[in-house]
Amino acid sequence: MAICTVYTSHSLNSTCSIPTPTKTYLGFNQKQVIFFTTSKKSNRRSSIYSSEISCSAEAKTVVIGLAADSGCGKSTFMRRLTSVFGGAAEPPKGGNPDSNTLISDTTTVICLDDYHSLDRTGRKVNGVTALDPKANDFDLMYEQVKAIKDGTPVQKPIYNHVSGLLDPPELINPPKILVIEGLHPMYDARVRDLLDFSIYLDISNEVKFAWKIQRDMAERGHSLESIKASIEARKPDFDAYIDPQKQYADAVIEVLPTQLIPDDNEGKVLRVRLIMKEGVKYFNPVYLFDEGSTIDWIPCGRKLTCSYPGIKFSYGPDSYYGNEVSVLEMDGQFDRLDELIYVESHLSNISTKFYGEVTQQMLKHADFPGSSNGTGLFQTIVGLKIRDLFEQLIADKAAAPLQATKA
Amino acid sequence: HVRTMAVPESTISDQVAKSIKDAQEACADDPVSGECAAAWDEVEEVSAAASDERLKKKQTDSDPLETYCKDNPETDECRTYED
Repeated sequence: MAICTVYTSHSLNSTCSIPTPTKTYLGFNQKQVIFFTTSKKSNRRSSIYSSEISCSAEAKTVVIGLAADSGCGKSTFMRRLTSVFGGAAEPPKGGNPDSNTLISDTTTVICLDDYHSLDRTGRKVNGVTALDPKANDFDLMYEQVKAIKDGTPVQKPIYNHVSGLLDPPELINPPKILVIEGLHPMYDARVRDLLDFSIYLDISNEVKFAWKIQRDMAERGHSLESIKASIEARKPDFDAYIDPQKQYADAVIEVLPTQLIPDDNEGKVLRVRLIMKEGVKYFNPVYLFDEGSTIDWIPCGRKLTCSYPGIKFSYGPDSYYGNEVSVLEMDGQFDRLDELIYVESHLSNISTKFYGEVTQQMLKHADFPGSSNGTGLFQTIVGLKIRDLFEQLIADKAAAPLQATKA
Repeated sequence: HVRTMAVPESTISDQVAKSIKDAQEACADDPVSGECAAAWDEVEEVSAAASDERLKKKQTDSDPLETYCKDNPETDECRTYED
C-alpha cells in the first residue's frame, strides 16, 4: 500500500499535505485532502489509490479588513501592503478579466463589492445606493470569509464594475493573508469578529473633493457641479453606514487639508493622522521619541531639506470614540524621498526587519500616489505592522515550528 | 498567452456622460429621493471604473519596450540573463 508522510510545514493553513510520487493537490487548504496516486514507480500500486486524511487546521488564514470610500486610495494601499510581503499582486490568471481579486504569493485581496445583492439596475429600481446595507449580502460575506478563514475554498461572486452586473463566481483558495477591502468590512458584527486587524481610511470631505476633481475632471460630461453633486448625494448614506465603522478600526488613517498653508484647497499638501488603538493584541503603536508623551517636531533644518511649506510631525496620546489611542501626525511633504531615512530613524516600534526598511519600501514605489506625503508613509508603516502581527499570530498558533516567511 | 481585451475607452466614457445626464434628470423632480442618490452613486461607480481603465491603459502604454518584450522575450533587445 502507499506510504504517506504527513508534513507540517508545507502550508500554513492546513497542518498537513501529502507528498506522493505524482502529487495531485485538491487545494492546499481543505481540511480533508483527497489524493490520488497513479502507478509510475512500482507495480505495487497498480490501481488508482485514494484515501482521505483529516487534518487539524490549526494555523488559519489571517484576515485583515480595509474600509474606505470609492476613489479614496484603497488600491494604492493594497499595492503597498502586498509589496511589504514581497511579490506583485495580480488578478487571477485566466479568469474573468473584470475580476476584482488580487492574488500574490502570500496575500489575496477581495473586493467586497462582489457581495452586492443588487446589481446596478437593481439598486436603481429600488432607489438604494451601493453604500446601503440593503444592497449587500452580509450572510454570504460572513459565510465565505469564515470558510476561507477555516481553510475551505469558496466560489465567490464577481461584481463587474464595468457592466454593473453580477458575473459567475470565481474560486478563491485560502491564502496566508486574506484582505477584504470595500465599503463595509466592519459593518456586520459577525464579519467584524472574523477580522484579525482592521483599518479605516478616513478622507475628509475637502480632500475627497480635491481628489475626485483630479480623477474626474478630464472625463467627458463631468464638471465641478457634477462631482460636487455626486459627493453630496452619497453623503447621507456614507454618514449613516460607512463612517460609523471607524470606531471599530484598530488603525485609522485620517487625511485632512494641510494647516501649513492657509486656505489650501488643492489637496496636494496633506495633513495625515495615523490613529492607533492601544491594547490590541500583537499590535504595538508607533511612537516618536518618547512613548506616551505629547510632541511637536519640525525636522526641517540642517539635516533635512524642506521647501515651502515644510514638514511638521506631532505625536501624542488621545481618545477616539471612547478608546485610548496613540496618534502620529505628519503635515507637509518630502522633497527628497531618500531623506525620509532621517525621519524613520526617529520613529520607534515601526516593526522593520532592518534599518531603513520604511524608506526602502517608499523608494520602491516612488511613483505611487502619496509617496511624498504622510499617506504613503503611514500606509507603509501599517503594512509593516500587519506583517509583524501576522508573524506573531502564526508563531503563537502553530504548535509545531513553522517557517512563517521566506528569508 | 491570453491578453485581456480592454473595454473601448469611448464606451465607458459614454457611460459616464450618460449616467451624469440620467442623474441630473432623476434629481430634477426630487433632490433628496433614493432614486437621486442611486443615480449619483452610479455616476461615482462608472467614474471610478473609467479612471481604473485609464490608469491601466496608461500603465501598459507607459513603456513601449516593456510592452514589446512581454510578447517577444527572445529578441536581442529583450533578452535578460540572471547571470
